[in-house]
Amino acid sequence: MTSTTYTLPVGPLHVALEEPMYFDIQVEGETVRSVELAAGHVHRGMEALAMQRNYFQNVTLTERVCSLCSNSHPCTYCMAVENLSGILVPQRAQYLRVIADEVKRIASHLFNVGIMAHLTGFDSLFMHAMEIREIMQDAKEGVYGNRMNLGQCIISGCRRDIDDSTGPFLLGQLELLKPQLDELYGVFERDPLIRTRTRGIGLLSFEAAKRHAVVGPVARASGVAYDVRRKAPYAVYPDLDFEVQTDTKGDVHSRALLRLREAVESVKIIKQCLRQMPEGPINIKAIPPIPPGEAVARSEAPRGELFYYLRSDGKDTPQRLKWRVPTYMNWEALQDMLANCQVADIALIVNSIDPCISCTER
Amino acid sequence: MLPFLKIMLRNLILGPSTDPFPFAPAKTHKNFRGCAVFDPEKCILCGICRHVCAAGAIQLRVSEDGSGMQYMLWHNSCVFCGMCAHYCPTGALTMSDNWHLVHTGAEMFSNCISSFIPFGECAQCGAKIQPRTQAIIDKIGERSPERFLLCPKCKRESIVRNVAKVNHLPAEENP
Repeated sequence: MTSTTYTLPVGPLHVALEEPMYFDIQVEGETVRSVELAAGHVHRGMEALAMQRNYFQNVTLTERVCSLCSNSHPCTYCMAVENLSGILVPQRAQYLRVIADEVKRIASHLFNVGIMAHLTGFDSLFMHAMEIREIMQDAKEGVYGNRMNLGQCIISGCRRDIDDSTGPFLLGQLELLKPQLDELYGVFERDPLIRTRTRGIGLLSFEAAKRHAVVGPVARASGVAYDVRRKAPYAVYPDLDFEVQTDTKGDVHSRALLRLREAVESVKIIKQCLRQMPEGPINIKAIPPIPPGEAVARSEAPRGELFYYLRSDGKDTPQRLKWRVPTYMNWEALQDMLANCQVADIALIVNSIDPCISCTER
Repeated sequence: MLPFLKIMLRNLILGPSTDPFPFAPAKTHKNFRGCAVFDPEKCILCGICRHVCAAGAIQLRVSEDGSGMQYMLWHNSCVFCGMCAHYCPTGALTMSDNWHLVHTGAEMFSNCISSFIPFGECAQCGAKIQPRTQAIIDKIGERSPERFLLCPKCKRESIVRNVAKVNHLPAEENP
């Protein structure tokens, strides 16, 4: 008797995966029977590096943990330091942090849906999504000075103010983006190619989402309306009017659409911020010494809840800095999503959790 | 494919959206955070730039004859975060919009800012103090320019003399 199953290795370097991740997949014909995940290919020892650098240097270090959520990391780190030392961030700086976060969220979500189009083989739509994203990249470069690492957050506030020249520029880019984003949503919603390829695959039920404690768009697409911006508001999110996007289908298609809807919400949030932002200082010049103790902070990164833990012994370097990133919670749910799927859909389903391996393995 | 056809045709008519670099200059925003630029005239050797530099790209070393300090910033180690420029109290370090950093392999270690900054001298006793160029006096020494040029010891003495003088005045007026 011959075995009907065989093992299919996917990764760590694979044309369809954006980052190194290894899957040991048991296949029966074209159908996936079981999945084993192996991690650790891009481990850079960042938590150990953080313990060798002072509080200022760690702002830059955490910014380089991940390129797509490169504002969420320093922002949450700074929030943890501020929680520990009792620094009150000026109101205007809070608004500036929210703007930077939402700009990054739009770019990150557009990147992910673009890659999804690429994986379905629809490369012209991929190029178009990336071109729309370019509007946001331009805005980042013009306002903050870099396309990816904004360098906006510092302990006690922000570095670059949005003034009379950059404010209207950012608003102009948003006006340019909005109609194109709506149009892109229509394409992703109605295009027959995208629909046949992505609907009904990578299903994650409400119960499974709860069991795996998934976060971010993955959770929200499965009906778990969990958004840190609403559940544990930080910065100025309580003063802002936005809707937490949810869906109940829990498939690859619904996750992509949900990301696009969130990008539209982010445009709304930035516009509100630019309107409501009070005048005032954007950071505090004199920073008090960081006292011994522990602090945590959490925020909603583009991929979900980001959590920072900081312990200080009163020196100028942290005694311990640890972060839990959204992908860590989401990738275990891949076991459920990949169950009984087709081999050709593996890359699409993996991409639908928007995996950030460099965050998770740091 | 149908909903996308309209977009595809429009994109075809609009033509390429990329800059034709290197045949034409690429668009660079004036806020762009590029290569660091150093003005040795404004440096007070406080070392905050080295303290906040996560990449360890900045080095300050006392020269062999002790007359000043050698300031080094390696562009190849720099990660362009701009923290040094943000925390620099005198504006000696700034981030330019220059992103043209191509160089040959032979220039790997010489592609840096290297500048000798002589120490200042106390106007009274001649002891070595932080640099006191005119640019620095204008920037942070305006409150009392004369005292700004003194070493800590002479500065203390000057303050004591001043306080003593102020306290004596009322005594002379009211016998």
